[in-house]
Amino acid sequence: MYYRIIRNDISKSKLITLTTMIFVAAAAMLVSLAVILVVNLSGAIDTLMTRAETPHFMQMHSGEIDTDRLTEFAEQNSNVDEFQVLEFLNMDGARIILGENSLADNVQDNGFSIQSEKFDYLLDLDGNIINVSDGELYVPISYMRDSTTKVGDKAVISGKEFTVAGFLRDSQMNSMLSSSKRFLVSRNDYAEIKNLGSTEYLIEFRLKDLSALGAFETAYASAGLEANGPTITYPLFKTINAISDGMMIGVILLVSVLVVAIAFMCIRFTLLAKIEDDYREIGVMKAIGLRVSDIKKIYLAKYAAIAAAGCILGFALSFVFKGMLLENIRLYMGESDNSSFAVAFGIIGILLVFLAILAYVSGVLRRFRKIFAAEAIRFGTSQEKTAGANRFSLSGNRLFGTNIFLGIKDVLARKRLYATMLAVLVISAFIIIVPQNLYNTISSNSFIKYMGIGNYDMRMDIQQTDNISEKAAEILKTMKSDSAISQYAVLTTKTFKAKTADGSEENIKIELGDHSIFPIEYSQGRAPAAEDEIALSALNADELSKKVGEVIPLVIEGKEKNLTVSGIYSDITNGGKTAKAVFTDNSADIMWFVICAELSDPSLVDEKTSEYADRFAFAKVSDIDKFVTQTFGSTISSVKKASYAAIAVALMITVLVTLLFMKMLVAKDRYSIAVMKAFGFTNSDITAQYVSRSVFVLIVGVVLGTLLANTLGEMLAGAVISTFGASTFHFAVNPLSAYLLSPLMMIGSVLIATMIGTSGAGQIKISENIKE
Amino acid sequence: MKKIIIGDHIVKSFGEGDEKRNVLDEVSVEINEGEFVAVMGPSGSGKSTLMFALSGTDDVNSGKVVFDSREISAVGENELADIRRTKMGFVFQQPTMLKNLNILDNIILPSMRGNRKNAVKITEKARALMKRTGIAELEKRNITQVSGGQLQRAGICRALMNSPQIIFGDEPTGALNSKSAQEIMDIFFEINADGTAVMLVTHDAKVAARTERIMFMRDGKIVSELKLPKFDGTDMDGRVEKVTVKMWEIGI
Repeated sequence: MYYRIIRNDISKSKLITLTTMIFVAAAAMLVSLAVILVVNLSGAIDTLMTRAETPHFMQMHSGEIDTDRLTEFAEQNSNVDEFQVLEFLNMDGARIILGENSLADNVQDNGFSIQSEKFDYLLDLDGNIINVSDGELYVPISYMRDSTTKVGDKAVISGKEFTVAGFLRDSQMNSMLSSSKRFLVSRNDYAEIKNLGSTEYLIEFRLKDLSALGAFETAYASAGLEANGPTITYPLFKTINAISDGMMIGVILLVSVLVVAIAFMCIRFTLLAKIEDDYREIGVMKAIGLRVSDIKKIYLAKYAAIAAAGCILGFALSFVFKGMLLENIRLYMGESDNSSFAVAFGIIGILLVFLAILAYVSGVLRRFRKIFAAEAIRFGTSQEKTAGANRFSLSGNRLFGTNIFLGIKDVLARKRLYATMLAVLVISAFIIIVPQNLYNTISSNSFIKYMGIGNYDMRMDIQQTDNISEKAAEILKTMKSDSAISQYAVLTTKTFKAKTADGSEENIKIELGDHSIFPIEYSQGRAPAAEDEIALSALNADELSKKVGEVIPLVIEGKEKNLTVSGIYSDITNGGKTAKAVFTDNSADIMWFVICAELSDPSLVDEKTSEYADRFAFAKVSDIDKFVTQTFGSTISSVKKASYAAIAVALMITVLVTLLFMKMLVAKDRYSIAVMKAFGFTNSDITAQYVSRSVFVLIVGVVLGTLLANTLGEMLAGAVISTFGASTFHFAVNPLSAYLLSPLMMIGSVLIATMIGTSGAGQIKISENIKE
Repeated sequence: MKKIIIGDHIVKSFGEGDEKRNVLDEVSVEINEGEFVAVMGPSGSGKSTLMFALSGTDDVNSGKVVFDSREISAVGENELADIRRTKMGFVFQQPTMLKNLNILDNIILPSMRGNRKNAVKITEKARALMKRTGIAELEKRNITQVSGGQLQRAGICRALMNSPQIIFGDEPTGALNSKSAQEIMDIFFEINADGTAVMLVTHDAKVAARTERIMFMRDGKIVSELKLPKFDGTDMDGRVEKVTVKMWEIGI
């Protein structure tokens, strides 16, 4: 019997069934993908960490090291299985050239190691322990990913030549989130370059019993052993490895939640409409003694069928996209050992979607309890009062045309039904506006202030060259006599050691010079003015946990000196970790010079840029707009793409859902339409009424969606941006596109969808629908 | 006397192929201005279909329908809607009211279309009609909060709003008890006395007996006709008997 009921019902409402099924399929696909990815990711991490024998406890240390004392500690601690101290030769990025590219702009701490003998192995892409020969260099996998270099490239490390022999997976430092990267060289080569960088030590332990890690940590700390650097444990390595793909999975889950919500809305709408239709029949079924659960079964059966079909389709689709999304995990971590379970877990995920839908349908059907047989049979409609709608009467209406009035009145009278459509439109407006505002914000000129860049026209970078100071002076001399240049400033970047709260030292890059010529925006405080002041970028302030007014000890010319934090600014360049100060220093090596210039006629910027580039071949001369595009262009363009995609997706959802709702409403309101036609309303009157309904709902939806986008959306986007180092964030809204174009696009799609959706109203025959 | 409706050899069929059946089989009919007519016949004889065809609410397969000197089968959809709204009134067996509107709004609905400027006048007229039909106090009520008889009165008010030339009633008393039916018929009688033509489709001999001409239908044809003198409130039993006898004669 159920089969027949379902078949009849579905054949009567093909479009509605299909749309609901599409949303269910999309939701199921995303959930299944997320689950498959989670299982593969955790499996791949486990495999990688097992093969590489990642340390259970690692203490980074710079400075003097007493290996005997450490060995003694390891021997005496019964939980220690194995112990070793590895060296990590930290080298400035500017000294590492891979193929054509220098790592000078690279934000990572790049360093060199030799292959370990006991554990913590560096693996090749097949998961085997690498055996490196002299002259060979193995490069962290992330430099393959971003195409910095390829196998066979020539690499120059502080003047010594290597050949890139392959790429390595590092179970500790694979992730972009880990701030260090290990390059692998042979023992002989290591000895040759050892004096060209600063050596850090990785003090590593493998434990017999990982669960007693906490006790071991305490033992290590209380033994007063070497601890000048961060401590990282096995679980943290795991987290770091998981996080970037984890974020992708998070986004997929978030999107799948939205899609599930839309699927629920579609189901709710169709179900509420169906209940309204069947009100009398439900009353009759109750009157003849069927239980609520029996009646529910009839309705549940249909949605169970739709959900099952959608879920199966979604599962199949997830296999199509699986490979694409697994690519990154495979590259960084290799194949997972338990990928076969992934499918099983995917099925469980899909079952959850299926059950959630059934639970939801069952929840919506709870209102059957409130249907009283007598009332339903007598009136064929619910007696629920619709608050607000009654005050709004046609006889008192002077504001709207009759058709518009009837449209709005219907929305007010059936709020529950339209709330569903509203929810979808709010989500759509949100999806359209947030990425667009984000794009607009980061592509606007004023966004430069978040980049820690002042308002100048031309920028010259001098790095990696001999006699760097003389070369800078040469440029300055030319600029001084160049009438086209109205103002210029020289900023010198040097590395200093800063003392952190726990007493360890950390390298900090400080830009020295006059920061008042091209001021930037400070989110707190102001630019450094006195010798003992320093301004920190938001990320640095965070990491060093310093606030404005606090003191930071810095080693300058060999002496420790206290600098007061004068201000905190947003900076998304150089990994967001920069600092600015005005003191003079003659000791530390100059890492690079930046010379900024303002032109008296900004339109000459192209001409001047090429003139200076020709004249000073050793410097990188850039027009500041181009500089912004280069450093941030790929992010801007991917946000742009994402915002276009979001608009397309949201408009598609809008059209599909409006079409679905309007078709349903027309089918449902056959009787009212027939009545109105009998009393002399034309087809265009009827269409006008439906357009009024959807436009009314749309206007409310757009207003709510825009409000949400500018509050919740801004917060979300701000959270994303803050990871790049911007501390304060407000949308730069383009009113034309956000408040006019986007709503117009939505209105356009809703109008078209409503017209198409209500075209069926013209075919409704009075005589067939009004007959007793 | 001027003819308000002329139906000429109307054919209306349903179904296709072997299933095809003429519900109206070459029916010709005329209704005069201000006339009060009834159509009787068993279920499925085509009475309602005839009413839908004559009022332009349904198209016909062949033949023509002329309303107020215009052939409505040749008139466009929108113009037809205008004619229905301004020159015809409809009362159905079930009160065809919109659930979302209160009684007053349902009554004024057809008149308000494109006529918002005159809302005050329209509302006044509706109130006057409601008073006349005895439902003045119900204007703010929801349609589920009044009785069937009251709803039917509201339906009549709605039909009268645009001062139509003819009112079509499809079993308007079919769902009512005899007292309510009587009262509704009194109202139709008054309307007709004011000069509006009325065409009722009915099963009920008592209802038909109040009219001045009764057409009897069977199998899609008008098989007989009975003329009665204009009802003056007397001899109701005699009129009903005449109708009943006629029905018995032709076997319906």
